[in-house]
Amino acid sequence: MQRQMIISVLAEDRPGIIAEITGAIFELKGDLADLSQSILCGYLTMTLIVTFDDDISPDDVRAKIAAIKAKNGYDIIVKPMNGPLPDCGGELPEKTYILTVQGKNKSGMVYSISSFCFQRNINILDLSTTLKDDRYTMVLQLDLSKVEDIKQLRDELEVHARQTEVQVMMQHYDIFKVTNEVTLI
Amino acid sequence: MLRPDQILTTVEMIQKENLDVRTVTMGINLLDCRSGDIRGTCDNIERKIGGLAENFVPTCDRIGRKLGIPVVNKRISVTPIALVGQGFKRADFIELAKCLERAADRAGIDILGGFSAQVEKGLTESDREYILSIPEALSVTEKICASINIASSQKGINMDALAMVGQTVKDLAEITKESGGFGAAKFVVFCNQPGDNPFMAGAIHGTGEADAVLNVGVSGPGVISRSLERLIANKGAENLLLDDLADEIKQTTYRVTRCGELVGRQVSRELGIEFGVVDLSLAPTPTVGDSVGEILHILGVDAIGAPGSTAIVAMLNDAVKKGGIFASKAVGGLSGAFIPVMEDAVLAEAVGRGELCLEKLEAMTCVCSVGLDMVAIPGSVDADTISAIIADEMAIGMINNKTTAARLIPVPGKEAGEHVSFGGLFGASPIMPVRNVGKSSRFVNWGGRIPAPVHSFKN
Repeated sequence: MQRQMIISVLAEDRPGIIAEITGAIFELKGDLADLSQSILCGYLTMTLIVTFDDDISPDDVRAKIAAIKAKNGYDIIVKPMNGPLPDCGGELPEKTYILTVQGKNKSGMVYSISSFCFQRNINILDLSTTLKDDRYTMVLQLDLSKVEDIKQLRDELEVHARQTEVQVMMQHYDIFKVTNEVTLI
Repeated sequence: MLRPDQILTTVEMIQKENLDVRTVTMGINLLDCRSGDIRGTCDNIERKIGGLAENFVPTCDRIGRKLGIPVVNKRISVTPIALVGQGFKRADFIELAKCLERAADRAGIDILGGFSAQVEKGLTESDREYILSIPEALSVTEKICASINIASSQKGINMDALAMVGQTVKDLAEITKESGGFGAAKFVVFCNQPGDNPFMAGAIHGTGEADAVLNVGVSGPGVISRSLERLIANKGAENLLLDDLADEIKQTTYRVTRCGELVGRQVSRELGIEFGVVDLSLAPTPTVGDSVGEILHILGVDAIGAPGSTAIVAMLNDAVKKGGIFASKAVGGLSGAFIPVMEDAVLAEAVGRGELCLEKLEAMTCVCSVGLDMVAIPGSVDADTISAIIADEMAIGMINNKTTAARLIPVPGKEAGEHVSFGGLFGASPIMPVRNVGKSSRFVNWGGRIPAPVHSFKN
């Protein structure tokens, strides 16, 4: 029997983090299924999905990573996964859109647009934000599969943008794909 | 997800640079609409266009809304009508124009092209009747555009047809003198006319095409201007070479063309109509910021028509082709930079300031994708001189194996320096002086043909 675990690691960014974490997993004879990492303002977060033999427990994994002699150490979460690995590398939904929201920086901007999405049953697949010269830009990748009427959504977005004093643009993800990738149309 | 900076580059193209799809044009074969008489033929034409184009406009609009990229113009081109109407008389061709107008109204489109003929080597009796019908046909309709191919690199120039089209341009302007000779703005004379060009007024559904196809015209020159301005602002002009700017044009054209390809293929799938080509042409509109002239300014000439202007158009035309050709499965039509004077506010201003003259414009057409387009000239210029101007333009296309066209508007009652405005997409311009008027009649009146050039003999 084997068991799958999801491991989340947070650390101050420096060379060697991936080598140390995957080295610890290797020593526990773990099989790495998938890994995603990102760096924000000098901090690295990494999420890994790993399959271990049945005799390895989440505590063993936590202890192995904690034993790494690293500067400032790691913050670690390890959870066993229930059931088989879901299909996480598949195609994006057909109604994947990119929403960009730009405006003068103030508190609550992400909350405002994410609440707008939540109220309309819109799942945010990805989000990235940047602050430059007091101008805050959010790029949201949205799944509009549960939205019936795109035109109505656009109208509601316009109203929301006026009320919250931001500029919004929403285009189908395909537009961004074809203008930035060399792929078949 | 793509990187945010990649996404924001595309967002800027849409938001600030008005990225759009300039036209989706449905080409429709009408050869199977011919019946024994004009009435039956008209009925068949209206039925065929009505059937194929029923959902055309709403589908383009829906896909534009879905993707978030507007499809600005929805148009139809048809088989050159002189082919459909062989054996018909002048009055019959006028009826055909009216029937096409009714079909255009029903389809909800603004322009229909293909009231056309292909006579580069010779004229049939019906072709002559067709040419004679053009002034009235275009004056009793609003949406119909006419074009005629009188020359090709393969066949030479048909000088009999040339003499007729000079007179046709004059008659068109005269019959529509209340609107400044607007009729002439709907009539283009071609050398090497492509059969899959989606842009008006010269769009036709050529022979050799499928029964119905969709051709797409990509976004205008504004996107290129803004991208060049952004590059220069970010990097500093002193750190850039001309090949950097050519590369920026290439990359922007790639993006623009990909959008056209995406929209066109989705419309094609939904309508179940074959996808034809993407035409890469940068077609300016009179809107400020949507000008090919502005690109010339950015690339380094302070006056359009100043020395260097031809070289810049050559580079622009080439970069547009290079960027677009990899972006689409099938590129066709005219695919280059247009320099239509009345439709391009910056070019029109240059005419007003005396910076751009007819001779320099002609030189620039040697390296652009079309020719002497939307040029307002004095109403007093005689038909033979107009024919001779067209002959020069045709010769450029014939010898250089490229499409050239002439769309001249002799504005009735107005002279050089006065102003004419057609409004909307057709624009406005001061009237351009024509030198050496009345000195080409002996040449035009020879008739016959300019024989096919030597490089046509490749078999």
